[in-house]
Amino acid sequence: MSETIYAGDARVVSVREAPRDYLDIILECTQIAADSEPGQFVMLKSWSGNDPILPRPFDIVETNKKTNTLRLIIKVVGRGTMLMKQLRQNDRVTISGPLGKPITDYNFNTMVILARGCGAAAVLFFARKAFTKGITIHTILSAATKQKLILENELKSISKTLLTATDDGSSGYQGLGTDVLAEFLAKNNTDRVYSCGGGPFYYPYLEQLQSSGKLPVYLFVENYMACGTGHCHGCAVKKKHKEDYYLVCRDGPLFRLDEVEEPCLIYQ
Amino acid sequence: MPDLSVEIADVRLKNPVLPASGTYEPKIVPGGVFSPRALGAVINKTVTLAPQPGNPPPRIWETPCGMLNSIGIPSPGLEHFITNDLPLLRKLNTRLIVSIAGFSVKEFSELAERISEQDGVDLIELNLSCPNLRKHTAWSQDIVLLKTVISAVRKAVKLPLIAKLSPNVTDITETALTAQDAGADALSLVNTFRGLAIDIRARIPALGSISGGLSGPAIRPLALYAVYATFKKVGIPIIGMGGITCWQDAIEYFLAGATAIAVGMYNFVDPSCMGGIIQGIDEYLDTYGFSAVKDIIGLAHRD
Repeated sequence: MSETIYAGDARVVSVREAPRDYLDIILECTQIAADSEPGQFVMLKSWSGNDPILPRPFDIVETNKKTNTLRLIIKVVGRGTMLMKQLRQNDRVTISGPLGKPITDYNFNTMVILARGCGAAAVLFFARKAFTKGITIHTILSAATKQKLILENELKSISKTLLTATDDGSSGYQGLGTDVLAEFLAKNNTDRVYSCGGGPFYYPYLEQLQSSGKLPVYLFVENYMACGTGHCHGCAVKKKHKEDYYLVCRDGPLFRLDEVEEPCLIYQ
Repeated sequence: MPDLSVEIADVRLKNPVLPASGTYEPKIVPGGVFSPRALGAVINKTVTLAPQPGNPPPRIWETPCGMLNSIGIPSPGLEHFITNDLPLLRKLNTRLIVSIAGFSVKEFSELAERISEQDGVDLIELNLSCPNLRKHTAWSQDIVLLKTVISAVRKAVKLPLIAKLSPNVTDITETALTAQDAGADALSLVNTFRGLAIDIRARIPALGSISGGLSGPAIRPLALYAVYATFKKVGIPIIGMGGITCWQDAIEYFLAGATAIAVGMYNFVDPSCMGGIIQGIDEYLDTYGFSAVKDIIGLAHRD
């Protein structure tokens, strides 16, 4: 958790819907842009009034310290995100951040990223920092269809390999991203796997991979949140083999797969 | 400059604005918003004697103008609280209320005794109402249990006691009177209302504990009624809480009979709201020519 969390306003610099039901938003917020680290997120509320009441959590995709901006990619899935579709340039939103534990572990040489759909929004910031530290990155992006592959160009420019998997075969392999991962790992060595998205479809394979002991798997976990700052203890995820809980907002969102139980309670 | 100070059992608070237990941890204050020192008092997340993990997730679910929670009082236990959390709370230099919950009369008394031995504690709030601990009956949902536990704690300690009551009863004025007669110095009205939601995609209750407590603006009229009705019957001060989001809501509570107010889930929505509420109360008093917040307590009562 950051030393200070900014809670206030941010200005919408730009918003575009690409593809449909995915909002790509740039916000001007000096303190959050300055303080954010990979692995962190913000709580955002773009409407006034109390229904819906809670802000929503979104991963920080990237920041720009020259323009004091941060980028979010938001999938429209419910009442709050539906309201965000109405955002226009120069609108003001309520925001808190940066939240979550910054990723500080870059003690490895190569990694494979497996991200499905909006899950790519969680990994880019981390992947870019890993790239600047000389870590070799292989990326597998998956989605229902080619249009829903998120951040492909940004990830391609820092990845030694970029493979895609789509449900309909419109890009790359037709089928699960975990199939592509399995095939890649059969022919290539890597130190770590980082995954986001895919929910219960990816989890069985990833769990088996972790428990095989051959390489550690890390998950970017999400959960229903109220405060996002560790006050309410709402976003609990069970610790593996322990009668206790982590908080996604305080101890995550990144967890090693074998630290947590049932991290895929919500899947959009 | 209106006088915002109030007294709860001879403990003077510099203003009547508090956070509700479990919604505001002073060590995680957003920078530059406002300082917890500005609050009339701070209060910890309810501590239990032994550590306990809290309820299985999902623990929260948004509802119209509010949310359900089945957090379940995750607690590091009394020893950890005394060693690690209490020193930080003392440093805030404002009134300190310690919230405790016991699962037996003996536990409640032991918790109260240990807390009253510590420096810097001004009041003890007895959490008598959480509906999440899988007990069919909470302390404050049973008149006999309520009288027994408050009497026992009253005998055990001299510190002022606040009884935080569950509204999930037929007549809260009855439980309030019982608490007063058993020795409570003040009342916190109200804890959450029992509620439930169904996740229609999974086709099961949304919360891991099936039901939970409803809080937020949706409950404000219900909680206000509890304060108004209880004010008519009791002589001890009431800390009013339930869906307070702004100074206007707070004023409603004072006029209904609250001596102080607490903000709960709205701290999640706007971490700076308590600062604005303190200011708003001050300006309301000034605008309408009241010299002290004490002057408006219960002023709405006509019948």
